[in-house]
Amino acid sequence: MRVTGPVLKGLLYGAVGYVLGGPVLAAVVRAAGGSFPFDLELAAGSVLGTVGWLAGVGMWDVWARGWFGLPLRSWPEDDGVARYFRFTTDHKVIGIQYLVTFLGLLFLGGALAMLMRWELMRPGMQLLTLNGFNQVMSLHGIIMIAVAVAILLGGLGNYCVPLMIGAHDMAFPRVNALSYWLTPPVAVMLLASLLVGGWDSGWTAYPPLSTVNAPGQVLMIVAVVIFGLSSILGGINFLVTIARMRAPGMTWGRLPIFVWSVFAASLLSFVVTQYLAASLLMVLLDRVAGMSYFHFARGGTPVVYQQLFWFYSHPAVYIMIVPAFGAALEVITHFARTPLYAYRWVVGAFLGIVGLSTIVWAHHNFTSGMPDWMHAPMLATTEAISVPTGLVFLSALGTLLRGRLWLRTPMLFALAWVWNFLIGGITGIFNADVATDLHLHDTYFVVAHFHYTIMGGEIFALLAAVYYWYPKITGRMYDERLGRLHFWWSFLAFNATFLPMFWAGLHGMNRRIADYPAALGSVNLWTSLAAFLLGASFLVFLYNFVVSWVRGPRAEANPWQASTLEWQVPSPPPVENFPAPPAVVGAPYVYGMPGVRHAVLGAAGGSER
Amino acid sequence: MRVGVLAAWWLVLTGLLVWAASRFQGFPLAAAREAAVADHAFRFLMLMASPVFTLVMAALLYSVLSRRGQGDPPEPPPYVPEHPAVPRVWFALTAALAAYVIYNPGLVGLAEMREVPLSQLLGSSPGGRVRLASLGGAEGDLVVRVRASRWLWQFEYPEQGIAARELVLPVGRRVRFEVTATDIVHSFWVPAFRTKIDAVPNLTTYLHVTPTRTGSFEESVDLRVQCAELCGVGHALMASPVRVLEPEKFDAWVAQQARR
Repeated sequence: MRVTGPVLKGLLYGAVGYVLGGPVLAAVVRAAGGSFPFDLELAAGSVLGTVGWLAGVGMWDVWARGWFGLPLRSWPEDDGVARYFRFTTDHKVIGIQYLVTFLGLLFLGGALAMLMRWELMRPGMQLLTLNGFNQVMSLHGIIMIAVAVAILLGGLGNYCVPLMIGAHDMAFPRVNALSYWLTPPVAVMLLASLLVGGWDSGWTAYPPLSTVNAPGQVLMIVAVVIFGLSSILGGINFLVTIARMRAPGMTWGRLPIFVWSVFAASLLSFVVTQYLAASLLMVLLDRVAGMSYFHFARGGTPVVYQQLFWFYSHPAVYIMIVPAFGAALEVITHFARTPLYAYRWVVGAFLGIVGLSTIVWAHHNFTSGMPDWMHAPMLATTEAISVPTGLVFLSALGTLLRGRLWLRTPMLFALAWVWNFLIGGITGIFNADVATDLHLHDTYFVVAHFHYTIMGGEIFALLAAVYYWYPKITGRMYDERLGRLHFWWSFLAFNATFLPMFWAGLHGMNRRIADYPAALGSVNLWTSLAAFLLGASFLVFLYNFVVSWVRGPRAEANPWQASTLEWQVPSPPPVENFPAPPAVVGAPYVYGMPGVRHAVLGAAGGSER
Repeated sequence: MRVGVLAAWWLVLTGLLVWAASRFQGFPLAAAREAAVADHAFRFLMLMASPVFTLVMAALLYSVLSRRGQGDPPEPPPYVPEHPAVPRVWFALTAALAAYVIYNPGLVGLAEMREVPLSQLLGSSPGGRVRLASLGGAEGDLVVRVRASRWLWQFEYPEQGIAARELVLPVGRRVRFEVTATDIVHSFWVPAFRTKIDAVPNLTTYLHVTPTRTGSFEESVDLRVQCAELCGVGHALMASPVRVLEPEKFDAWVAQQARR
């Protein structure tokens, strides 16, 4: 009970909240002669259920009691495994909570991908029904989007940013805990949607389909809106933390590049996430309140949704990939044993990407029937994003060419990131160009493109970062041989899976289909077999991750002899990180500069904060 | 770092890739003027991308092969200050390359696809005189009204007064498709024509295609109308055959349909 108590209490309160907000409220309204559609029951129930969950899991005890003049209850901060199952505020605990939760979801989303590849291995229907395939595909999509948004920022961002800037925690520790504890209900709702018919409109949920399909859509909408709230709160927290909590001497120009990338991505998630919530809430209102934003029979305008949706959802890919840029460059500079090349240009590139990414949305809509005059400006702004992205490549290559490479597992994954993201980036031009995109839009060419950017780009950078920070986070060393095996296996299988998809898309295989013309049989057979290999490669990672955490050799404080602050404290770092604020005296990456230091620990004086 | 070695690698790799890209024939059946425009743009982008791709590859390979350090960890190389001109030149070159790709095949390809002069394309502003309907080129030799519903396609030929479940077109004539949907969003796509437009309820969208060769779905699956926007259960199977006929055979088909 010491370990599971808060979670069980959260589940109980959540269930009570759901029943009160859903069935009970519906029964009361119906008894009074009103109408209360099932969709509304689901929506109201899951919102109140989430509130109940938060209260039960600890928000009431450690936070909300104070609002009513009651004494707050607290748990010991250093309480073994139990603290990972509680509403605790240590950023390192929250980082691990995020990382493990979303690695779990990554595996779940991967398993769903395996199901789809099994179905697509041969023409005709094998395993799933047409509707079942659409549900699996939709679930895979939204789970992986959530993973891509949260795993780097929420997991490694939370764990590493305060350490890297010399802070004792995030600026708003309880808001940080709230950001995390909002995410389990999201996963529960997405899975529970299958109990009420699932939903078949993909992660994009385009209306009018999403206004007329099964009630599972409602749970998906509430889940995504709550996830968006978590994302906004996290964004605000990172912005304030990085702006206000830096150690003495940690100027903006001395921030490690990963911190800059988290700052840029947080700026985006803070500013744009509301568009996603707004567009999905409009769909919800169409369903439960008889509105006519998008509903075809009531004269709605479906194409407006597509614009609103992509106001968020294009910048969202940069919320995913910019922290990956930061993580990959961080690993590259430490393992090339030389300062990051063109540091200031990369910072400028991150901010340029943030700005440009908000004015490119309609390249998703070239074939949507939007006004024709929007094509030219949108293809121009989209292709212009290749310029700041090119600076990220300049930095990576410049650092590699000037360095002495240390080819350990993190570095191998960072090098794979260069290869994968290069292919993802170049094929993006074909999708940005109207003349080619009119054919390629909504085909497997696009599927291949975004898997190269998000899986090959972000997830490979994530793996680089996980191996890199593993000894810091766990206090143990992972198995290097298994790490290399995982690298070669996943890198080759990844490319074998997704390269042929470009060909399939060019040859008329459209996205999100449960079946395809027999002429596309051999490319799909190949892709499926490669995908199974890719899936299997992650079992090596899982084994290494879990077993090394339990039995791996103890890691020293700084096994990589890296220069940044997180490596100057023990592995894992103590609660509150630093005995006293460190004094930052120089640039973050001091390699090949004898006598030059990044920081002096415990020199900023006292325990004053 | 030996710049000469790196440059040699880059030139060799670029030569190989440009040679391969310029001979690339891996396209599906091209049965329309629009397909030729799209394939030309595709091949041109492959050529433009080749030196960029090989530059990164050359640097990556070179660094892995000849910049590997010794030791755990390797001794850091002595720090050499960066030359400030390199990022500036890189920025200028990539910006120029991006600007050129925006122009060609970007704007040039868009104008060719829509069969309008480039000047008209750029002059078509929200408040300008060029409107949505006319940007695709106002006139077609033949009008086909496409109606999408879950999960089938219907084709009406208003000038001929006929309707069909398969799409039959005469070769060499510019067809104006007027596309709409009766329930949810679908997308009208013929892979062999390399273009698509969404079918949206409460909206009529337009697409112009000039078929350039005869053929049928039986000869190539690329000649099919495939729904390309997720529309629920039947989405994967929402396809109709396409036949492109000689004009006289098309007229005969029209006459035969009219007699039904």
